[in-house]
Amino acid sequence: MNAVQHQGTLTMTILRYRLLWLLAVLAVPASAHHGSSISYDTTKQWTTWARVVQFNYKNPHPTMTFEREVQGGVVEPWVSELLTNPSMLARQGWTKRKSEDALAPGTRVKLTLATSRAGGFSGIVMGIQGEDGAPIVGGGRPAQVPDLDGVPGGLQPEGDTMLPGQPVEGGAP
Amino acid sequence: MASMARSTIALPTRSRWSMTCAAVARTLLISALLGVPLVAAQPAAPAPTPGGIGNSDSDTRSYDKRNFSGLWARSPELYGEAPCPECREPVGWPGYGFFGDIPARTEEGQRRMDLNKPARGLELGSAEANARTDLDSGLRRAILPAFGNDPEMRCEPLGLARLITFAGPGAAMELIQQQDRILQTFEWTWDFREIWMDGRRSPNVEDYLPRFNGYSVARWEGDTLVVTSVGFDDRQWIDQHGYPLSSEAVLEERWDRPSPNRLRVQLTLTDPLLYTRPWQASTKVWSLIPKESMAIAGWSGILEDRCVPSDESMFNQVRDRAAGLGEE
Repeated sequence: MNAVQHQGTLTMTILRYRLLWLLAVLAVPASAHHGSSISYDTTKQWTTWARVVQFNYKNPHPTMTFEREVQGGVVEPWVSELLTNPSMLARQGWTKRKSEDALAPGTRVKLTLATSRAGGFSGIVMGIQGEDGAPIVGGGRPAQVPDLDGVPGGLQPEGDTMLPGQPVEGGAP
Repeated sequence: MASMARSTIALPTRSRWSMTCAAVARTLLISALLGVPLVAAQPAAPAPTPGGIGNSDSDTRSYDKRNFSGLWARSPELYGEAPCPECREPVGWPGYGFFGDIPARTEEGQRRMDLNKPARGLELGSAEANARTDLDSGLRRAILPAFGNDPEMRCEPLGLARLITFAGPGAAMELIQQQDRILQTFEWTWDFREIWMDGRRSPNVEDYLPRFNGYSVARWEGDTLVVTSVGFDDRQWIDQHGYPLSSEAVLEERWDRPSPNRLRVQLTLTDPLLYTRPWQASTKVWSLIPKESMAIAGWSGILEDRCVPSDESMFNQVRDRAAGLGEE
């Protein structure tokens, strides 16, 4: 094995290990995240096209506001947080400037989302893809989830499931 | 029986040696006749398993067991290093934490614990939380972060036990060892503490200001560094699950380096005001990360991963919206 081949093998090994790590991280969002997984129903994800309004590359997790145009030309203003955090992004090569450039205001992106359990236009971003389909800012996730582009509200929580810890009348949670 | 015991004790050294030789010879003979290799009788090393069991480090190079300096992480894959299964938290426990043999609380301990409202662990009232009665109730009471009161979500100091046991993805630490002390720095919240090895004694807590990371002194027991920490600020949580800690708590850490690329700690918290017995945590293991592997754009080392109150406040607005609070 020559030096070039060795370097290639080494790079593949590193990528493989990082992929393993990423899968492990994504497998336990409930525990790894800033307590947010309870706020969102990550078991019911969906995708949509959206346009970035503002992206904030900050701890403990980046946040993003975006708009999505739905049937009838209505524009929904959403707020969201990202699953990952700046230190993880930076270690994957998504540094602050690169991430902010990739998600500059007005950028059209395909998002994989989970809606908040309170409902409304609030969600957690599980994955982002650019218009060319390439994963950006932390990578995309396999789109084995319903595509609800243009559907008003996207995928909203169903039923009367009470939010965990939500204060109830006459007492603490 | 008494005379037998006396005769055994009184046996001359030469006779005991002869008996030992005979026993070894018998064992070898039987082993040879049965074709059983003697090594088979040795207990096999446990397979590397989450929770600090076994050791996946295959590095056989010689190393200094008393030198802990270096960059250490519990997710070595993130840095392109080989996975470390034993570095992960025990299987079946929610997230990461002190874990281990969780003791019952005293009345005061339970009172303080009930005041703490964690947002991590199994969701309060969920089917999983109700089913996992094998877990302590403290791990089954997570509520929406917007309604919780985790000090981390206000960027308050995490405190020593929580810093050590934090195993969030990618969080790393560095140990810088000198003759008289070890400086331990933590990536998440960019915090640090000193472990003094200059022979000083633990301070009388009453004479000092309490500190989130306490006062740490250490001594060597063989190749194990035994660190004793006292003088804690009792506003901290032991871990993300909201277990309280009093200013009378004593944290003992037993650090060792079982192989070139592994660092391990056994933690025991003694806090009789809040807990009915000492609490031994699950074993925590770190993997050594080469300097060049923990680098971004050629700049190596742990990150300045601070919790900035204004950033946290911005994040919490989004968090609150997810709980149905704030502007729609």
